[in-house]
Amino acid sequence: MEEFSAAGADRGAPPVSMMTTPTVRNNGGTLVGAAVKVAARDVNVFYGDKQALFDVSLDIPDRAVTAFIGPSGCGKTTFLRCINRMNDTIDGCKVTGSLQIEGKDAYGKNVDPVVLRTRVGMVFQKPNPFPKSIYENVAYGPRIHGMAKNKAEMDVIVEKSLKRAGLWEEVKDRLAQPGTGLSGGQQQRLVIARTVAVNPDIILMDEPCSALDPIATAKIEELIDELRDKYTIIIVTHSMAQAARVSQKTAFFHLGKLVETGATEEIFTNPRDSRTQDYITGRFG
Amino acid sequence: MAEHTVKAFTEELDAITQEVARMGGLAEAAINDSLSAVGRRDTELAQLVIQRDAKIDAAQREIEKRAIKLFALRQPMASDLRVVLTAWRIAGELERVGDLAKNIAKRTLILNQAEPIQLTRSVERMGKIAAAHLKQVIDAYANKDLQAAITVWHADDNIDAHYNSLFRELLTYMIEDPRMISSCAHLLFIAKNLERVGDHGTNIAEYIHFLVTGEEIATQRPRGDADVAD
Repeated sequence: MEEFSAAGADRGAPPVSMMTTPTVRNNGGTLVGAAVKVAARDVNVFYGDKQALFDVSLDIPDRAVTAFIGPSGCGKTTFLRCINRMNDTIDGCKVTGSLQIEGKDAYGKNVDPVVLRTRVGMVFQKPNPFPKSIYENVAYGPRIHGMAKNKAEMDVIVEKSLKRAGLWEEVKDRLAQPGTGLSGGQQQRLVIARTVAVNPDIILMDEPCSALDPIATAKIEELIDELRDKYTIIIVTHSMAQAARVSQKTAFFHLGKLVETGATEEIFTNPRDSRTQDYITGRFG
Repeated sequence: MAEHTVKAFTEELDAITQEVARMGGLAEAAINDSLSAVGRRDTELAQLVIQRDAKIDAAQREIEKRAIKLFALRQPMASDLRVVLTAWRIAGELERVGDLAKNIAKRTLILNQAEPIQLTRSVERMGKIAAAHLKQVIDAYANKDLQAAITVWHADDNIDAHYNSLFRELLTYMIEDPRMISSCAHLLFIAKNLERVGDHGTNIAEYIHFLVTGEEIATQRPRGDADVAD
């Protein structure tokens, strides 16, 4: 099995066989014409004896935002954490089935989860900047992965990352100040800058706006919209409106199962499954 | 379907649906009364129809107000979104039906000042079919009865065919007796109004299809007035 290349390396185009697939609703459906970045087939997750995910098969399109929705405990975060193998860090957690990123097995024997996570970045619910300066927060990842030969190169990476995260103009004159001194919304954008600094392909966002006010939320949503040109983004959110606003594809989870997936517009206007209908219209959950 | 976790949301959706059904009843009564006014040469009833149109307009404003409130405060999705959107659209159709009934009533006032004309009965017959279709489609909306809506949708060509026939009859009458041109022209406009009522009923049937299935009706409706320009 081919190993994942390190951060910042030239990864080339995905295999031709993965470039396009037809739209098939309720069966790992993809957006028409979109390349498949992540392909999950029959993924099951167990926490000890308890099964948290049941036979999840789903295609995640490249350069698009996919939203995972569902009531608390439905398995959406569990599935999200399978993609960058964060579940490996939980004792007694077992993942079965197939999960491929650009056709390569994310759970292959030769895959180093640390290298994998440079390609699959993650942003959490609560902003978690390191207790370091704004500059060092962004430079940390590139430094440990040896992505810059000197200070000048690092400066370029930091500036580019902060610009991509829409934070540069607000912090360019105080890069030496602590990241923890920024507002909640700025901290979350700093974390996004830190994530994009190691040049990932995929960004996982686990309720990235749940601790933010509406203005900061709007800025993050605008940022997500800009970032989708360059990255595959997967967002877990409890806000139906946010899922509807930012994503192109939506997957609805319930009781550990993937109930329905399809183009966001269709899921929110005319869902096929009555459970999806009940959830998004506020009838349960 | 189960109730919303927030019960007031369910109540507000039910209320807007009931308001549309009530408005449908007003529009239906306006058409029936205007037809009676034509048939009986009843000036008083015609004036009542004209006055009551304000109630139909008010009902439309009320429905729009409720819809705006639902959009702003509840952000309806999926079937709920369709309920609000359909209520809004049907209210627009019914308001036009009210206007058409008012127009028929106004023409009745003019017709009542002239000699009675035999063809009034033909117009009345056509009107009864249009009114029956309107009633069926409003009932279909209240009951979310897709099949009944589709039946009305297909039946509109019957009204169109009646209009086509009446058009020819009136034309012949006008040629035979030029003194009747004025009355015949008013009857022709009334017939056209009734044909429009049929079209609004068809539109409502299409909205019911969207409300129930989430899809637009895909095929073209059969038309029975191909040789008479709209």
